[in-house]
Amino acid sequence: MRRAAISLGLALALGVLQNYGLGQTPAQNSDDAASAVSGNPPNTPPDKSAQDQDRKWHVKLGPVLVGAGYSRFRGPFYYPYGFSQFDGFYRASLWDPYWAYPVSYPSGYFGYNDGWGEVKISLEPRSVDPKLAEVYVDNAFAGTADHLKNIWLEPGAYELSVLSKNRTAYRRRIYVLSGRSLKIAAKLDSVSPEKPAESKP
Amino acid sequence: MMKRKWLVAGLACVAVIAFAAPKGTVARSTALKYPAHAELDGVAMGAVLLTSQEARSNFVSDLNHCCLVVEVAMYPQQGQPVEVSLNDFSLRTIGTDNAVKAGSAKLISGTLQKKAAASRDVVVSPSVGVGYESGAVYDPMTGQPRRGGGIYTQTGVGVGIGSPGGQGSGTDADRKVMETELDEKGLSEGTVATPAAGYLYFPLAKKAKNARYELEYMLNGRKVVLRLAE
Repeated sequence: MRRAAISLGLALALGVLQNYGLGQTPAQNSDDAASAVSGNPPNTPPDKSAQDQDRKWHVKLGPVLVGAGYSRFRGPFYYPYGFSQFDGFYRASLWDPYWAYPVSYPSGYFGYNDGWGEVKISLEPRSVDPKLAEVYVDNAFAGTADHLKNIWLEPGAYELSVLSKNRTAYRRRIYVLSGRSLKIAAKLDSVSPEKPAESKP
Repeated sequence: MMKRKWLVAGLACVAVIAFAAPKGTVARSTALKYPAHAELDGVAMGAVLLTSQEARSNFVSDLNHCCLVVEVAMYPQQGQPVEVSLNDFSLRTIGTDNAVKAGSAKLISGTLQKKAAASRDVVVSPSVGVGYESGAVYDPMTGQPRRGGGIYTQTGVGVGIGSPGGQGSGTDADRKVMETELDEKGLSEGTVATPAAGYLYFPLAKKAKNARYELEYMLNGRKVVLRLAE
């Protein structure tokens, strides 16, 4: 038996977010500050009717997967035009979007949240060589920008710096939340060679 | 020995001042640069209501879920400092009796955490495909080999349901980060001797569509009203 399959995939991620007040999830909150907000003292069971009002579903349209494929089969137990208990399996393996295609899902899809936040760094203008742009997080060298297009950090506030030779330094205080993605467009304008280079953090 | 203690204390103070996180925003050159501005007792102030898009781009915390954000700048006269307190600011919906005081960073971050913890993600991923299948097969009825082929199509929908708080911002660590961000970008409380600016957060349970707002500020027992335009 021999089977060959070629598949091509195209993933279009559409970040459509809609809120529906369908009501399902119980509010989880034992924090003092949040209790103060809800009007409940700490360690007091929250009001159930208030919980019902707060429950929310966020419905997102995920990646739309479009594929094309070709398969060739030869063997005694294959039924291309009739019913086969394996037919569904083969088709599924060919088209399984999470197995066959190189689709990367952004953080937060399917509620996946490992407690880290993502920082995506891009350089402006595009002529800046990312291999020469040094990235510092809290004044510590993290690497060059070509290796740090995506950084995963624990929730917190950080000082982000991007430096490149003969260009202005980019410095910004960033706030990272778990399961969130923060896009940074570091603008590094060119400066005249006579001007002294900015000091590293 | 005593001198050394004073030296250490002094150095600690210098270090705290030097490495303290910046507070507030940069005030524009004059109060007139703000869409809403007024002057009372020599104190000029300007304000602007942030749009949802501006709030989204200026903050990592998702303030659109709970609040309206107003950037306020104070310009005290030289030599006449002003005492700034969040309690002196309130936001009123024009044409109604509804008014709300500015919320502290702790209060707002707690509200956001509660809302995030109560949310849950549902992701729907449709998939479509078309393909061609060919091959030589044995007919089970006759036992003879046969060539065949055909086009097949396939559609599917994947549905994923996340755990509570799937949107993020629902943990205590996130609340601390949001509190830090809101505090650092917020209008500083206390004595202001030079132009100072920062954000005020007004928690609104429900934002009315096409509603217009005015910012009220109590200065020396007198009210300053700034009509905000979004």
